[in-house]
Parts: sequence; structure tokens; C-alpha cells
Amino acid sequence: MQKVGIVGYYQVKLYSDANYGRYEMIFEASRGALDKAGLKKKDISTVISCTNDYYDGRTISNCFTVEVGGGYMADESKVEMDGAHAVLYGLMRVLSGNHNLALVWGGSMASCYPYHSARLYETDPTWERPLAYVNDITSAGFQMRAYMEKYGVTVEDIAKVAVKNKKNAAKNPLALKEAQLPNLTVKDVLDSGIYSDPVTELMAAPPCDSVAALLLAPEKQALKITDRPVWIKGVGYSQEPYYLGDRDLSGCKSMNLAGKMAYAGAGIKDPSSEIDVAELFEACAHEELIFAEELGFAKKGKGAEINSAINGDLPINPSGGALGGHPPCGTGLIRIIEAVKQLTGEAGQYQVKGAKKAVASGQIGMCAQNNILYVLEAN
Amino acid sequence: MGRQVAIASAGFSEHASKRSDVSMPELVSEAIEDCLKNAPSVELGDIDAFVNGNMPAFEGSNIPELWMTDWMGARNKPLLRVTTGGTTGGSVAISGYYTVAAGLPGVDTVLAVAFEQQSQGDTSVGLASVAYGEISILNTLGIPYERISRLLSAGAAIGVAAYQATTYMNKTRISEEDLARVVVQNRRNAAKTWWAHLKMPNLTIEEVLDTPYVQYPLRYGMVCPASDGACVMLFTTEEKAKEMCDIPVYVNGVASVANESAVLGYDGSGSAQIDPSMQLGAIRSSELAYKQAGISFPRKEIDYAEVYAPFPNQQLLWTEKLGLFEEGTAPAMHEAGITDFNGELPVNCSGGVNSTNAIGASAMERPAEAALQIMGKASNQVPKTVHTSIGSGWGGSLNLITLMAMSDQPQRKWR
Amino acid sequence: MSKMTQRKSLDYVKKEYVRTRTQPGSWYLSSYNYKFNITHMKPFLAKLKEKKLVANQCSSCNRVFFPPRLVCGKCLVKPDKWVDIRETASVSTYAISYLKDPETGEVQERPMVLVHHDGADTVSIAELSPDVNVKDTYVGMPIIAHWKDERVGGLVDIEYYDKYKDDSDDIRYKK
Repeated sequence: MQKVGIVGYYQVKLYSDANYGRYEMIFEASRGALDKAGLKKKDISTVISCTNDYYDGRTISNCFTVEVGGGYMADESKVEMDGAHAVLYGLMRVLSGNHNLALVWGGSMASCYPYHSARLYETDPTWERPLAYVNDITSAGFQMRAYMEKYGVTVEDIAKVAVKNKKNAAKNPLALKEAQLPNLTVKDVLDSGIYSDPVTELMAAPPCDSVAALLLAPEKQALKITDRPVWIKGVGYSQEPYYLGDRDLSGCKSMNLAGKMAYAGAGIKDPSSEIDVAELFEACAHEELIFAEELGFAKKGKGAEINSAINGDLPINPSGGALGGHPPCGTGLIRIIEAVKQLTGEAGQYQVKGAKKAVASGQIGMCAQNNILYVLEAN
Repeated sequence: MGRQVAIASAGFSEHASKRSDVSMPELVSEAIEDCLKNAPSVELGDIDAFVNGNMPAFEGSNIPELWMTDWMGARNKPLLRVTTGGTTGGSVAISGYYTVAAGLPGVDTVLAVAFEQQSQGDTSVGLASVAYGEISILNTLGIPYERISRLLSAGAAIGVAAYQATTYMNKTRISEEDLARVVVQNRRNAAKTWWAHLKMPNLTIEEVLDTPYVQYPLRYGMVCPASDGACVMLFTTEEKAKEMCDIPVYVNGVASVANESAVLGYDGSGSAQIDPSMQLGAIRSSELAYKQAGISFPRKEIDYAEVYAPFPNQQLLWTEKLGLFEEGTAPAMHEAGITDFNGELPVNCSGGVNSTNAIGASAMERPAEAALQIMGKASNQVPKTVHTSIGSGWGGSLNLITLMAMSDQPQRKWR
Repeated sequence: MSKMTQRKSLDYVKKEYVRTRTQPGSWYLSSYNYKFNITHMKPFLAKLKEKKLVANQCSSCNRVFFPPRLVCGKCLVKPDKWVDIRETASVSTYAISYLKDPETGEVQERPMVLVHHDGADTVSIAELSPDVNVKDTYVGMPIIAHWKDERVGGLVDIEYYDKYKDDSDDIRYKK
């Protein structure tokens, strides 16, 4: 795969109730990304956006955003999954040779609609929706229970992940203010309100408002734009079957296949020693452990034994991950941006020293049905 | 960078106003079976990746491609979802092209799926809520609700098309009879297409003009129906396509450009498209796609065109804006028979969107039919040999045009 | 639905297919809150109360937006200048919608016009004065804004548009 570089990015701060209009936020993100790279609107060749009709409360939610997102008279298209999938489409457009600069943006404002109710519309309308047993929180509860029973992982191990991520979020100035909890303990996590046993409130990613954008360019152009581009060495994506009964909920096969595809493209043979930092999109705390095992960072069931703190052996989510704030349709994109910050040394207080290779992931669907993984490398 | 992409096959499901015999996933698998029937050496296991799209607001199901994973054969395979409103089918086809052209390791054959089952939901609510957000803003700024209920139709395609029709008819001085003649040609062509919705082989101009107005100057007899249906295309590399079918169709140019919001504008701020029939987006799309495909003289080089025209004035408008005819001459060309089935440049011989409109799928059915005409497998195959064809799509609130230029010769010069 | 579109659905009803089970459901649009900016609208609404029209202008492409716009899409910057706009305008295009009144059931004929103010580069939707016969309107017809007697600082302060005296009416091409 030819080299494609990430040459600019911008992320609006995460708010639980932003004092912004939708279009202003999108404009700030796209303008910010262009200013960071020092480019003009005329240089943009293609624009890919990522929004969702049910999250925005409008049909074709992405149609009026074309001008503010930089897509005026540009060859543009729209993806309706996670922001990380929009980056995939931008990557494909650049790899085809037709375009020299791709702007990708995604995000939504969760303060405008009830997020968990809107997720109900993903369920099968003929069988699961009328029964209303399966939604994003209960299916996370199923997976957490299956994982804990199979490998003997305790609920305290999973709560430690939530504690670590919320502490990391306190060092990230752009994370959600309500998720910045530097003095959190395992007991606080287990005592916060039960959503769907054993998932508690502080274990689930809190939906919020934000928009993020980034720029992609092929190798020759990327080196002209900036002297610190971050190369996308490999990408993999895969989708599991839909019904929970058809899947092995104690693991995540789609992340495993996505990882295999990405590692093969990047030439990585031993992930736990070659990867320096991982930014994984975890919609619930236990998913971070499951993903770490599926990606080869630990053996099955031993995910809790990885030292994943910022100064540990393999830091996972030094920016706080999705537990530090989850703007729907933008979280995967923000994970990629955080990984880029680690590789260019711009991560500030939560910088992992000497990071050269990173992975970033995005997901969509109940229990992470469709996963996408990027392997990134510094210049 | 990049590689040549070819279309090996295309398939459709039967379109009807209410397909109450299948659920959404079953409708899609019907179209996939038809597509694989046209390429007998391909099995479902040979597909490396999928692209899927529809307009989710019409059925009340968010991201339904998750639900229909097994019906598409996408279990444990890569899948991407692309939705752009009315042009979803065209964008899915273009995204299928880019997935193959990018050359990700192990991804050579891609199935692009676009579908819509509008009878499951309430189409008028879905269309009205396109502009709902912007209109609620106007309400807060003082406009009373009765005025707003009229503006709601401005968000839908019919609102935008009616304005286009007025300016176009003013420029070219055509009458409603010319529009009715286009409708009659479309519906008679649809009678020979097996999957089309409104098949009327004996329609006359008087019958079309005898219906009441939907929105002046368009009448009920002229507008497209609301259908349920699905369409599937198979994209692959040049080498594999030669094994899969006799005449592979090479995708040489793609583009999807929008100008600005039409009519309403975001936050109720109006639109800079002062003359709605000017269509800067279409002109730019055709520039980009023809340059990639190496087409310098579209009128002479293109043998067949499928333009996306849910309303008859648009069939005349796009043939001009996409470079096929000179400005203002499309009605004369149509009357002279150049766009007929036997004519020099046949247009919409499958009946077009005017006869079948499953919103998510219809913008893909245009390049699919244009590709089948090159392969010689279309159900209303034109008598002349087709070497180069185009298929376009149009989105309402934004005047977004998706364009795909195909030919039976690969175009490698410009890379 | 007209007779023309109804035909095909009856064919499928008659065929002997095994029917799927139907399940009712609904999409609640009423539980959404739409947030939008008013920073670019406030000066405009304040001037409307004083019977003055203003628009904003992008300094890099010099396009004038009426009603004011948050972002100029061509240049991807915020418009920074305010300019005055005349009350006279012309009809850019028009359409007539036929809406069924839900209570009385009668079909109402309501004209909708896209109005292009002199000096602006954008069009907006508006109504014509009830005295003007919609069938007489033509593209390019000159019109002028008709103010409401009591203005509140909202978009409805321009009640509708009157027909303006047209000196070139006798030499115009007839339809």
C-alpha cells in the first residue's frame, strides 16, 4: 500500500451542552484543520463527512453541512458510520490517485437528542425492537458477563480500566469536563448508578458534543505540507453477524480480523512489542480489555494484566479514550487524532515518551459489531 | 497509484409500490441473486468487501446494514456504509469504485448494494424532515407555523424541481406538452424493462395532462412514483473482470460535486443559486469525470446516457448541463427523435427515474443500466452498439450530481 | 395517490406471496432540540424593526448574503462586513403548491416565490401580496417589500412583496 500521510487535524473541545450551533462547530473544525496545515480552501480536492440522521433529527443530516464543511464545489461524499470509517473512505480516495488532499470531518451534538433512545432504532424492527430487551447498554451487559464468566475476570478489574481512563482524561484539556475525575476510585465506579447489571454509569462512554476534522495527503504532497506527517501503514475493517446469539460474546471476532488485515498491510509480526501506544474506542470499559487481547497485546483472558498506564509497558488510551467523552460519529476520528498527537509529540501532559508506532480504532453497532483499525507510524 | 476498475455485473430486484412479500434484507438478497446470475463464475464467498447504502429515515431503521449482514453474505467481511440522500445509489457505486481502485491488500472484488423499502415508513414525513431543523429556526425567528408548512415541501425534491422547471421553461419557452412527451417516452420504455415500476405501453400525452397539479408546473401524471426495490453492482479489477464476463465495463471517470444548498439554505439563510436551472455542480461534475475518462467531445463520444430525472423537465435540463447538447436545444433534440430508442443518442431507455424511484437505489440503477447496455445484457437493449455511456444521479436539497463515465476500453493515460 | 401510481401495488396484493408480519413503530422527531447560531442574525433582526435591510458580505469573494449567513462556503471564512440592501427586488423563480387543508379538506393554492433583492447575491423564499394573481407572475418581475405596521424584530416583519411599477411591461416578450 502506498504511503498516505495525515498532515493536519483539529478537534473542538468536548462539551456536555455546547454553546455552539451545529454549523459553527463544523466550520471551526474544518477551518482549524486547514489552518494547522497552512492550506487554503482551494487546495481541498475532496471532502468526506460523517453524521447520522437519527442522531441529528433530520433526514439527510449531512446535506446542509456541505458549505460549512469545506465542500463547496468539491468532489464530496458522506459516510454514515463512525468517524474512523470516514477516514477510510478518504484514504481510499487518496490511494486511487484521483485526489491530492482529502478533508475528513465527523461529529454530532448529543445534547440535542436522547442518545440511548436513538440507538434503539438500530435494532431489528421485526423482532428485537418490539421486545426492547436488546439495546446498546444491555448488549454491553451481556458481553461483560460472558467475558467475566469465561476467563474469571472480576468486575474490579474492569472498574480499574474506567478509573485509569478517567484519570487520563483529567490530563487532556480537550476531554469532557464531567469525565475528568483524577481522584476516582474503584469503589466509586462500582457504586455509581447501575445501567444494566453489571454495567454501571461510570463504565459506559458518556455522549457529548464535538466535531473533529483531519487532512490526508499522498506521500509526495504530505512531505511538502509538513515535516512531521504521520503515515497510515495499514488499515483493516470487518463486520460480525448481527444477532447476539450468532456471536461469541466473550471475544470480538471483528476486531481480530480487522487487526489481522491491518497488521498484514503494515508488516507487523509481534504487536505487543512493536506497538508503542494504542487508542481504542471503547463504548464500555470491558471492551478495552477484549480489544487488547484480540489485537495481540495479551493472551486471551489476560487483558487486565497489561500495564496500560501512560508510563507503563503498553499505554492504552492515554487521552482518556471514549470514557473521556464520546461525541457520536466523531469518537473514532478523535482516537486517530490522539494517536497522531502522540506520534508527533504534541500530546502535552499525557505524552507517551518515544512513541513511534500506534494503533487507533473505531467501531459501530451493538457490542462493536463493525470494527476498523489503523496502524500509524511517525515519519 | 491506483488501478483500473471494471464492472462485471449488475442486478435488480422487482420494483413495486409496496413489496409486502419481503422484508428489507430479503429484498437485498433478491437483487444480489440477480446480480450473481449475470456473472455465473462468481460465488458469494468470492466477494472481498461490501459497500451498502440507503436513506435510513424512510424506514425507521438506523444503519440497517448491520441487520442485513448475513443476507448480504457479509459475515466477517469488510463493510462500509455510504449515504447521501437522494443520490445514495450513485455515491455507493462511486464508493465501490474507490474501494477497488485504492488497492488495499486482499480487497479485489467489491459488491455495492443500494436499496429502499419506502412502503415501510411514511415518505412524506421523511421528506418533510429534511428541512425540519432549518425551518424550526425560522419559526423561532418569527415566521408563523402556517407559512412554515408550505416551506416544508421546499426541502423535498419536488420543491426544488418545481423552481427548476419554472426557470427552465422560461428560458426555452417550452410548454407542458413538451414535458408530457418526455413522460410518455419514459413510461413506454419502462414497459419493456422487467424490473421497472410504472409500465404503461399505451400512455398518451392527453392522459398525462389530464391530471391535477402537484406543484405548478408539474402535474401528478408527470412525477415519479415511490417504489420499493434494490440494485446491486459488482466491481472488480481488470484481470478478474475478464474471467467473470464477456465484455467487462471499465469505469473511467467518477465525480460527485454539489454547489450549495438550493432554495432554503442552512439556518434559513437562503441560497446563492439565483437561477436554479444553472446547475454549477453538474457542470463541474462533468468536467471532472470527463477529464478522468479522457472524453473531450461528449456529444460525439458518448453513445448512451442514463440521466437521473424524476421530473420530465430535468431530463431535458441534465442532457444540456452534462455536456450532451447545447444550451436550450434539448427540447428540440427530443422532438426530433435523437434521444429515442432508435436515435443517435438514446437517453433513459430503461424508463428512467420517472417510472421507477426507489430513492436509495435509483441513483445506482442509472450507471447499472448504462453498464448493462455496454455489456449487451440490458432488458431494453438499444439496436446500436454502445461503447461509452454515462449514468448520473441528482440530489434534491443540494443539487448534488454524481456521475460515472464507463466504456469498454480501459483509460490509463492520465494516471 | 393518482390512478397512475396505484396500479402496480394492486398486482402485488393479488399474488399468492407469503406475507411478512407487520410491526408498527414511529420515529419521534419531537424529542429533538435543534441548536443554531443567532450571532449573525441579531444585527439583521434589530435593523428590521427600524424598517432597514442589511446584509453581510464576505471580503474575499465580495458576495453579499441576504438573509445574513454564518459562513461563506466558497472561501470558508465568516463574512465580516455589513452592507445596506434596497427594498426592491425581482422574482427569481416561482412555483404554486396545492396543499390540502387538513380540517376543511379543500385544496389551497399557495404561491411561493424566490426573491432576489437588488444588490444581494442570494435568494430567499417569500410570499407575494394577495392582490397579485400568481398566474401573471413571470421570472424577473420587479417587486418591493411591504412592511408590517407593527414590527417585532423577526423575519415576519416583511409581510409580503408588492408588485412594483414595471416600465418595460409593454415591450416585454409575451409568454
